[in-house]
Amino acid sequence: MDWGHVRRNIADFFHGMALAGYEKKLREQLMDLNDLFMLLCFMELVGLPNPATIYLLEVYPYFLEEFHLWHRRMGMDHSPLGTLPCC
Amino acid sequence: MLDLLKKRILFFGGKGGVGKTTCASALALAAAKKGKRVLLVSTDPAHSTSDIFERLFSREEAEVYPGIVGVEVDADFEARRYIETVKNQIAKLFSSSVLKEAERQIELVSTMPGVEEVALFDRMGELIVTCVDSYDLIIFDTAPTGHTMRLLRMPELMSSWIEALSKRRKNLITLNRNIEREESGEADPILTTLERRKEKLELVRARLMQHNFTGFVLVLVPERLPIEETVRAAGLLRDSNVNVCGIIVNRVLPENLNGAFYEARRKQEQTYCEEIRRRFAEYPSIWIRQFETDIYGIKNLDRLSEVLAGPNDGAPFG
Repeated sequence: MDWGHVRRNIADFFHGMALAGYEKKLREQLMDLNDLFMLLCFMELVGLPNPATIYLLEVYPYFLEEFHLWHRRMGMDHSPLGTLPCC
Repeated sequence: MLDLLKKRILFFGGKGGVGKTTCASALALAAAKKGKRVLLVSTDPAHSTSDIFERLFSREEAEVYPGIVGVEVDADFEARRYIETVKNQIAKLFSSSVLKEAERQIELVSTMPGVEEVALFDRMGELIVTCVDSYDLIIFDTAPTGHTMRLLRMPELMSSWIEALSKRRKNLITLNRNIEREESGEADPILTTLERRKEKLELVRARLMQHNFTGFVLVLVPERLPIEETVRAAGLLRDSNVNVCGIIVNRVLPENLNGAFYEARRKQEQTYCEEIRRRFAEYPSIWIRQFETDIYGIKNLDRLSEVLAGPNDGAPFG
């Protein structure tokens, strides 16, 4: 019997007990935060001026995955932005 | 005058056509003659510095006169260079399919308005940070007032923008960590990139706000419109906490001429000079009389630099 394993199981159990009721809410909140952050980064694409656009170029590639999750979540099978082809 | 030369970074600004470039070049010459190593940076799209020195200023630093190194900042070129750098950076990090998509996005952004301005600022910031140790004095000959004000306020705007972004990102990461209960060892690349960018901006900003290090010289001529614009500029600079270290009143009419036209102009000018003295009382001033010829070429510039460095400092006339 590995004590680390047992401890982890117990911790998971309590974490689950404490969090289960809220997990859905928390995940929703996380997604909202994610969307807000994405909006702030892609403001230019919806026609709002974004002073930091050029600095964000460096982080765009990191966004591709999150962008994919976002447009799927929004019920769009394919990327809605022609300029940002995703799938 | 001597106070101006004690600064390490000087910006020359003012309304179009009042002689910013000429004064900046003359001051560079005066400093070089005192044995200082001077970097003269032209950011004005008109690029008149080349005409004054009768020597082409290039995008890379090159000596244009003994002791003076000139560089011309070309916004369009800097924007392209910046975008190339970004492309190279990400090329090392991502797979080719991601790259293809990202590059399309990058190309699109590069055509957006405002990109050149940011790239121009980036290059100026780079010069400020990297060249400060290799030169005794860096002189920026800037484009007319409005443009420069935007440039100087950019670090403030940008860093608060990026700050807001990284704050959101941090919230997101914290929440995610609490849900997933995973301590991922690696730092978030987006957050790291944003923070690094912010640090750079803060560094430039700190330099610009350091009063004994950086100063702004406003050039004007004794006429209505330049006076009003300069008053506004001085106010804006003060609000942005940039030190205005002096004004240069350029092209004051010479004395002892005759004729009704001259008398009329001179009379009007005297009221303007009076007004300048009153409204700019808090700033040290240098007054320069109009020459009988226009100024281009080293020889003429030398004459002006002597006036600038001469004993008539701060003794207003008119």
